[in-house]
Amino acid sequence: MTAPAASRRPGGVKVVAYLALVLYAAVSLYPFLWMASGAFKDRIEILAGGHLIPARPTWDTLLQTWSRLHFLDYFLNSIKVTGLTVLGVLAIYSLASYAFAVLDFPGRRFLFWFFVALLFVPGITVLLPVVILEDKLGILGTHLGLVLPFVNGMAPLTVLMLTNAFRSVPGELRDAARVDGAGEARIFWRVYLPLSRPTLITVGVLTAVPTWNEYVLTRVSLNDDARYTLPLALENLASGNVPEYNEIMAGSLIIVVPVILLFLALQRYFVAGLAGAVKD
Amino acid sequence: MTARRRSRWRRWLAGYAFVAPAVALFLLMGLYTIGYGISLSFAKWNGFTPSWDWVGLRNYLDLLYQDPTLAPDLHRAALNTLVVMIAVPVGTVAVALPLAVLLNSVRRLRGLLRSVFFLPYVTSGIAVYYAWRYLLEPDGPMNFLLRSLGLGSLSRPQGFLADPSTALPTLIVIMIWGSVPVAMLLYLAGLQSINPNVLEAAQIDGAGSVRTVRHIVWPLLRPITTAILLLGLRDSMQGFQIFLVMTDGGPAGHTDVVGLQAYHLAFFKGLSPTLGLASALGWMIFIAALLLTVANGRMLRSNR
Repeated sequence: MTAPAASRRPGGVKVVAYLALVLYAAVSLYPFLWMASGAFKDRIEILAGGHLIPARPTWDTLLQTWSRLHFLDYFLNSIKVTGLTVLGVLAIYSLASYAFAVLDFPGRRFLFWFFVALLFVPGITVLLPVVILEDKLGILGTHLGLVLPFVNGMAPLTVLMLTNAFRSVPGELRDAARVDGAGEARIFWRVYLPLSRPTLITVGVLTAVPTWNEYVLTRVSLNDDARYTLPLALENLASGNVPEYNEIMAGSLIIVVPVILLFLALQRYFVAGLAGAVKD
Repeated sequence: MTARRRSRWRRWLAGYAFVAPAVALFLLMGLYTIGYGISLSFAKWNGFTPSWDWVGLRNYLDLLYQDPTLAPDLHRAALNTLVVMIAVPVGTVAVALPLAVLLNSVRRLRGLLRSVFFLPYVTSGIAVYYAWRYLLEPDGPMNFLLRSLGLGSLSRPQGFLADPSTALPTLIVIMIWGSVPVAMLLYLAGLQSINPNVLEAAQIDGAGSVRTVRHIVWPLLRPITTAILLLGLRDSMQGFQIFLVMTDGGPAGHTDVVGLQAYHLAFFKGLSPTLGLASALGWMIFIAALLLTVANGRMLRSNR
């Protein structure tokens, strides 16, 4: 009889599959485990190295980083910059994408492809002119001076994803709403936005994560340390002569935890939104 | 004016009103910067003097071959960039596809594992780069792990990032680690859209898992693979944040990439007139990206 062999084989395959998956889960988690472990070690223990679980776990490192090193202020700055960028991206490009997807006006196709083509302009190419322009406008070094180019930089991907999402809304819904006397603004707000929620959330996450971590433009534009965002604060912390890795890991943890929580809260929509992007 | 013409005007006006904020922001942040960047690439300027010295194409030629203090460095950076552009997308596909197939084949813990696999993307950025730096220090956990596993010969006493032979490969591995999550998720979505009957039929015909993947899954997922490769190429050509944070091009230029060079020329040369050079390098990266995209588009069309 081959039956026992047949039933044993898938079982064996499954064990191997789980083993491989758990192994990669460990690889995914590896730096975070050490980040968390370092954040709970004191100055002496971090130098001893080697062991993952702190022998004398302490909250002092985190508390110290949070209060004495002003991470609370930097945290609020980061929230402000990231929040305004996400709001700006969603507001400006959902309007534009609605026009590209359903409205009819001369130049529509040209404008759409123009915005998408900007995807191929590397950030480094326009970084220097952006800094010079902002210097002339007097907004270099302000949070507005970060938000405007961040929003503009998200245009191609966002327009592409949102226009696709709006196009997949059935046209009958729009016609029905017009018969009921709704204008474009109302149809946009009441029909198209609610039906595209997974895509809007996906765009929000895809904007928030890089903005939260942005370091390249931020580093060359912010001078006043009262305006620092978390990545700059972390760099500042790490640029001392002798890096205090327990404090650096605590600062890193403070940066990483909010993003993880945001992702866990929104991942249902995010996964659906990304999956939708593949099918188109 | 007839009523019909008026309604057409109103429709157009609605369209323009909806795109107006996006166009306005582009006119402010985009148009000026692009025009300014192009003209600056034909001049010498240090950012402080009141006027520019027009030098024509000299910035481009200096970078490409004429200036012995610039060209060799750029050649090396371009070579490193090329290595990254090949290794990262290929490595990402090589890890993400098997991972997605495995994840799709199990039922229990799938949701949890997916969330865990996704962490590297969510947190990619400066914080995790510092965690990696700590791990890769001379006395860091990575060396310790290798020694305690009896693999001490693989450990790097100088630290992985300070050792010229391991610095770039280490960064490539970290970049792959960071880009596997999105690729894995895209593959997973693709796998779930494959009709299960097709796979079942293959199994009944006696095809093993590896053969099923190679002959059925891989061809069906080709559009996703293409998308992942394209995104990966673009990111590895333009992105240099990880290089800036982790090595700043070191040791001795072994991890220098073109984006990082442009950044240094633009912001870290003090009073030397390198801003035109930085601009020219930025546009050369743009042209390379454009050529690559056109070539890719050709390849995609001929594949169909």
